[in-house]
Amino acid sequence: MSGVQLKNIRKSFGALEVIKGIDLDIRPGEFVVFVGPSGCGKSTLLRMIAGLEDVTSGLLTIGGKDVTWADPSKRGIAMVFQSYALYPHMTVAENIGFGLSLAGRPKAEIESKVREAAESLQLTPLLDRKPKALSGGQRQRVAIGRAIVRNPAVFLFDEPLSNLDASLRAQMRLEITDLHKKLGTTMIYVTHDQVEAMTMADKIVVLKGGEVEQVGTPMDLYTKPATPFVAGFIGSPRMNLYTGAAAEGLGCKTYGIRPEDVTLSSQSGRWSGRIRHVERLGADALVYFKVEGFGDMVARTHSSADFQPEATVWATPTLGAEYFFDR
Amino acid sequence: MRRVRPIIVGCLSLAVAAVVFVIPFLFIALQAVKSRSEASRLNFQLPQDWLLWDNLVAVVEARNYQLLLAYFNSTIITLFSVTILVVLSAMVGYVMQRRRSRWNSIAQGAVLIGLMMPPAVVPTIGLLQSIGLFKTMTGMVLIQVAYNLSFSTLLYRSFIGTIPRDLDEAALIDGAKPWQIFFRVVMPLLKPVTVTNIVVQSIAIFNDFTNPLYYLPGRENVTVQLTLFNFQSMYSSQYNLLFMNILLVTIPPLIVFIFFNRQIVAGMTAGGVKG
Amino acid sequence: MVEAIRPKRKSPYPLWFFLPAAVIYGVFFLLPTATSFWYSLTRWDLTTAEFIGLENFRQFFSEPFLVQGLINTLIYAAMTSGLKTVFGLLLAVLLTSNIMARSFLRTVVFFPVLVSTIGVGITFTVMMHPTRGIINVALDAIGIDGPGWLTDPALALVSVALVDLWKGVGLATLIFIAGLAAINPDYYEASRIDGATRLQQFRRITLPLVQPATITVVTLSLIGGLRSFDLIWAMTRGGPGFSSDVLASVIYKQYQAGFYGLSTAGNVILFALIAAILVPLTRMFHRREIDQ
Repeated sequence: MSGVQLKNIRKSFGALEVIKGIDLDIRPGEFVVFVGPSGCGKSTLLRMIAGLEDVTSGLLTIGGKDVTWADPSKRGIAMVFQSYALYPHMTVAENIGFGLSLAGRPKAEIESKVREAAESLQLTPLLDRKPKALSGGQRQRVAIGRAIVRNPAVFLFDEPLSNLDASLRAQMRLEITDLHKKLGTTMIYVTHDQVEAMTMADKIVVLKGGEVEQVGTPMDLYTKPATPFVAGFIGSPRMNLYTGAAAEGLGCKTYGIRPEDVTLSSQSGRWSGRIRHVERLGADALVYFKVEGFGDMVARTHSSADFQPEATVWATPTLGAEYFFDR
Repeated sequence: MRRVRPIIVGCLSLAVAAVVFVIPFLFIALQAVKSRSEASRLNFQLPQDWLLWDNLVAVVEARNYQLLLAYFNSTIITLFSVTILVVLSAMVGYVMQRRRSRWNSIAQGAVLIGLMMPPAVVPTIGLLQSIGLFKTMTGMVLIQVAYNLSFSTLLYRSFIGTIPRDLDEAALIDGAKPWQIFFRVVMPLLKPVTVTNIVVQSIAIFNDFTNPLYYLPGRENVTVQLTLFNFQSMYSSQYNLLFMNILLVTIPPLIVFIFFNRQIVAGMTAGGVKG
Repeated sequence: MVEAIRPKRKSPYPLWFFLPAAVIYGVFFLLPTATSFWYSLTRWDLTTAEFIGLENFRQFFSEPFLVQGLINTLIYAAMTSGLKTVFGLLLAVLLTSNIMARSFLRTVVFFPVLVSTIGVGITFTVMMHPTRGIINVALDAIGIDGPGWLTDPALALVSVALVDLWKGVGLATLIFIAGLAAINPDYYEASRIDGATRLQQFRRITLPLVQPATITVVTLSLIGGLRSFDLIWAMTRGGPGFSSDVLASVIYKQYQAGFYGLSTAGNVILFALIAAILVPLTRMFHRREIDQ
């Protein structure tokens, strides 16, 4: 188990700086998720840790060793790619054992390690197949198997679930979490999906425009977002955020309230508005309405509550659940 | 009406195509099996005796089995040239496609010049002479490689663009050296375009007449196309043997075409669209 | 701030992959091309070269038969390129339409591309024989007095160009077929709903959208036409007289005659001709493509 430290890491492509000085301390055994909108630099950052992208300036250590300029294969990392990057011309067994065979390990050792990895991922019956003949979930497992046999100090995942359908994604989320529990290895996981971040991470790093917006546990970020951006990014449906005159009236630059912290009533409340639309999700319902002089608002309520479009509704924020941001 | 039209147009074009494109080949085949006097009439009458075998033997035995030597030489030249071409152009196409460097624009320019410009023949002869490669098979092979590199590189470069970079990176993380990434991961995936390259370049080099004419004169080095050309003056009165020879040169590409039709079409259009 | 010393990390795509190809290409193609400019200014016997300035070029342009070769090159290239483009497109339209025996026809049209040029040249030379050749025999049968295809100085170059068309049109057709296949069929359906006739569809949809293929065919066949040697050499050897000589055959003839400097000057003229025609052409095509 090794930790990963980033000290003032920067990356420029020509005149364009895409990573603007990132400091990060990842403790041994931690499951860290980099999350952010596309173009925030999360994948570039991961690729720099992997050594696939040169660092423009800064210091990167893995397990206390300076690996800023080390070759990817010498960093003690393994990576699972978004496309899985399985070698199409090799069987599952050859894919998993490729790294070992490059290192010139004896055949028997390669075979036993491949078997062991395959066993733990239920891939044994598929060892002689080519990647083409596998389902998406199976390919994903082979990619993980290829990472496991390297016995890495750090696992890197680059949006590994984005090519799977929703139900498989939920299942693989669990499998990766289980893998983390079993191996206890440091894992760094990149995603744009805040649900993956919330459900899997020990620690979430929210990135925006090449800078760290906030670092913390999932619940920290949910309950104590440092910026309106984090507040809007974490949580679904997203927090209601208001700027301008509406916020200034409440003594801040940005005012936020989560849909689940808005209580609706048909008689009275702090704000009143006209209901535009109601989405019934089963147990819950989302009520969309417009508060005059304030803006659009969403509230989560029990679906048995009888709110109809065009009706007037009164809304009240839960005390202590309001956010007042200075920017 | 709508259903009749394709048939009419089809019949008409079949007839025209038959006359224009098929008759010359029938003509070749027919003359090749005739006797000397029948063939000299150059018409479409069927022969009295089908002398396929006799004419074949006569052509092969001519000039002390020169044709066999020519086939041997052409095969050797084609084999070596194409092998070297495939390996070298795949390497160039790979780095050109994958790496941004200032050498790329130079390589790009070189490829373009190679596709467009004819070689400077006499200076090339002078050069070959000065390094002892004039009139040698080695020299011929190197010339064929040099002249055909551009086209092969073009084919490889565009195909390599379709191979995800993730694979290179996965191999890099797996600890592969650059040459291992290329030969163990990328090269096996280039099989379709490699087949195309082999087929298209084999036909081009086997059919090449001009370059052996300049760089490989001399009786012991004859190639198939040169032999055919020489037979033209030698057999001006023996059309049956001349056409037997033409038939023999036409058969190898026909066989290749039957087996590799798809790859040839892919290569010709891919190279063409970029060219 | 910690600033790591930056050791040069090796790219996984090493530049030495260029090296073997670059050496062969440089030595056997680029080097002779570069030295040809010098040798074209000399009287040269392959061992010693005596500088004579532009004498070779002066001689080239004062000999009528050499100038004829230059003009013939242009005529030949323009003719073969034009014919291949027109017939290639027509054949491609025919061979992508819904007709009988389509794949057989494609095969038949394409096969000559793969056949030995010398073989084709000899075959057509025989078929174009003024009295006994089957072409004139066939014409005779329907009452036409066939010309001396290769023996008439006014016709020889045209005849060879027609054989070039026969041999090369398959490649043009193939490229056009690929170009036509890339056109979204919705355009044709949409225009049919708009009431376009077949001819209007061809002119307003097919022609503009197949333009990338047209550019390719024109460029490729121009290059081929300007460099053309083996078919001409197999059929007429530049004759009768010098009536079907082109630059490439002039270069060979001067080489055979031992005028190495003059031959190389011809080569340089051929470079210049190709550059002068193709560079502006590709520029123009390139600009047009960007405009669209």
